[in-house]
Amino acid sequence: MTEALDKTPPPDKTPSPRTAAPLVVLSKVNKHFGALHVLQDIDLTIHEGEVVVVIGPSGSGKSTLCRAINRLEPIDSGAITIDGNALPQEGRALARLRSEVGMVFQSFNLFAHKTVLQNVMLGPQKVRREARDVVEKRARALLDRVGVGNQADKYPSQLSGGQQQRVAIARALAMQPKVILFDEPTSALDPEMVNEVLETMRSLAAEGMTMVVVTHEMGFARSAANRVIFMADGRIVEENTPDEFFGNPRSDRARDFLSKILHH
Amino acid sequence: MSQKATVLFDAPGPRARRRNAIIGVLGIALLAGGLAWVVYRFDQTGQFDSQKWDPFQYTAIQQMILDGLKATLKAFALAVVFSLVLGALLAAARLSDHRPVRWAATAFVTFFRAMPLLILIFFLYLAPAKLSYWPGFLDFINDDPMWPLVIGLSLYNGTVQAENMRAGILALPKGQSEAAYALGLRKYQVMTFILVPQGIRSMLPTIISQMVVTLKDTSLGFLITYEELLFIAKRLGSYQDYGLPLIPAAIVVGTIYIISCMILSGVAVWLERFLSRGRKGRVQKIDVVSGETLGAGAGISV
Ligand SMILES: Nc1ncnc2c1ncn2[C@@H]1O[C@H](COP(=O)(O)OP(=O)(O)O)[C@@H](O)[C@H]1O
Ligand SMILES: [Mg+2]
Repeated sequence: MTEALDKTPPPDKTPSPRTAAPLVVLSKVNKHFGALHVLQDIDLTIHEGEVVVVIGPSGSGKSTLCRAINRLEPIDSGAITIDGNALPQEGRALARLRSEVGMVFQSFNLFAHKTVLQNVMLGPQKVRREARDVVEKRARALLDRVGVGNQADKYPSQLSGGQQQRVAIARALAMQPKVILFDEPTSALDPEMVNEVLETMRSLAAEGMTMVVVTHEMGFARSAANRVIFMADGRIVEENTPDEFFGNPRSDRARDFLSKILHH
Repeated sequence: MSQKATVLFDAPGPRARRRNAIIGVLGIALLAGGLAWVVYRFDQTGQFDSQKWDPFQYTAIQQMILDGLKATLKAFALAVVFSLVLGALLAAARLSDHRPVRWAATAFVTFFRAMPLLILIFFLYLAPAKLSYWPGFLDFINDDPMWPLVIGLSLYNGTVQAENMRAGILALPKGQSEAAYALGLRKYQVMTFILVPQGIRSMLPTIISQMVVTLKDTSLGFLITYEELLFIAKRLGSYQDYGLPLIPAAIVVGTIYIISCMILSGVAVWLERFLSRGRKGRVQKIDVVSGETLGAGAGISV
């Protein structure tokens, strides 16, 4: 347990990003929902360019952890810093910080009354007040990149789940964030659409985007993640490289969990 | 037609269909009988005498009715615009993060929603004369009975529309505002760009029903001498020369009200279809003749 909570993982398992600067740092983060202690003394450091996969049973606090990082859920105690700055509590400063942290939700959450293109353009235009033509050019390029460039003028409800999620990724990218949080981005998708979204995420990872990904997609974790974090009951129970974690889990909880998701 | 199952009902079986048919026939017979009796009695009491109906052929009388309709529509248009603006502001205020703002808006809404509209209009009609401290102050209300009517309608309907919009906003999925906040939008931006537009769209049928109520309530203006349709009907009905044609006037004006409300409902249906294209899918229509893909605009014409 103690070595699992260690902020700096063993150097032999660290690919290049570990030498980079810490981008997101959580220290002693605690959060309750009433009597439920959802986040218990969470210590976690995510370095620039790193891809961290968070895995764990349902209800273990993975979503809450993600949402705490951009303060969609306020925390009770502890500290979160992003690029060296403490997470502001409210107002303009909080909004500015959120604009630097992308978020991709399980249920896509595209704005239903706006076209795909408008969804992607909204943030840069309204938050950053960038010029329309600049934003539109970037938005179209991003939509092309995630493979939905020809859907730009449709509404979200006209797209398949996989397409919607790729638009949501483009929307997050349009803000040119320092880090993107993915909360089970493929869990709401039909099986045949999972890969197109994972492929998009893989290419992002390959380009050096810093990513926190809550997912149970082992293939993605193995091919794209630098580190796997295993959560259970609001704690980080184990933290390791994907190969080590999946091949040789150290804790009983992780072994038990993996046996459930691997053999069905 | 009635055989299709809807969300609310199972498709009726044979027995239910027979029962529905019997109820339908009985109902129609009852209504027709009632109507026939009314027509018969009106005829007997001379309500269909040509003396009572002739005036509607005179252009001067027609002009009077038209002016009345114009006055009704003017008060209606102003009241609708003001009540929608007021409604949006109050809805946003009731959802504010700041407690004093929330409380003030709630008090305002509670007060004006509970106040009988007629009392409100009378008060607005009578009070300014007693309040006019500086010469000219509030004169516009004194001079034109349209203003007490419009202000009263706007206050009352504004609070009702505020509640409609607030309900629409609260019913939106939480993910909509979360995604907006996650992009870095401020609260007022989330409201203005994401929640209010969607809330209004989802509540549009209710909002337009309330507009129909607003239209009908313009007839309260007759009590404060605003010369709208009902006022004109009453004046017409008191003409001795035409044998006090109050019932014919009521029939004519009533028909105008009903047609106006039906037009408004028609606009509502059209508007709803127009706005919901975004949600249900702005389906591209294929023009069979030219084989060209037409934009959404073509889908709604015809
Ligand atoms: N808004 C909330 N209010 C109360 N309890 C919550 C709320 N959100 C999550 N929880 C509870 O917190 C626990 C952790 O939730 P979550 O972070 O969503 O877990 P995970 O994403 O790992 O499945 C769950 O038991 C859940 O029921
Ligand atoms: Mg979750």
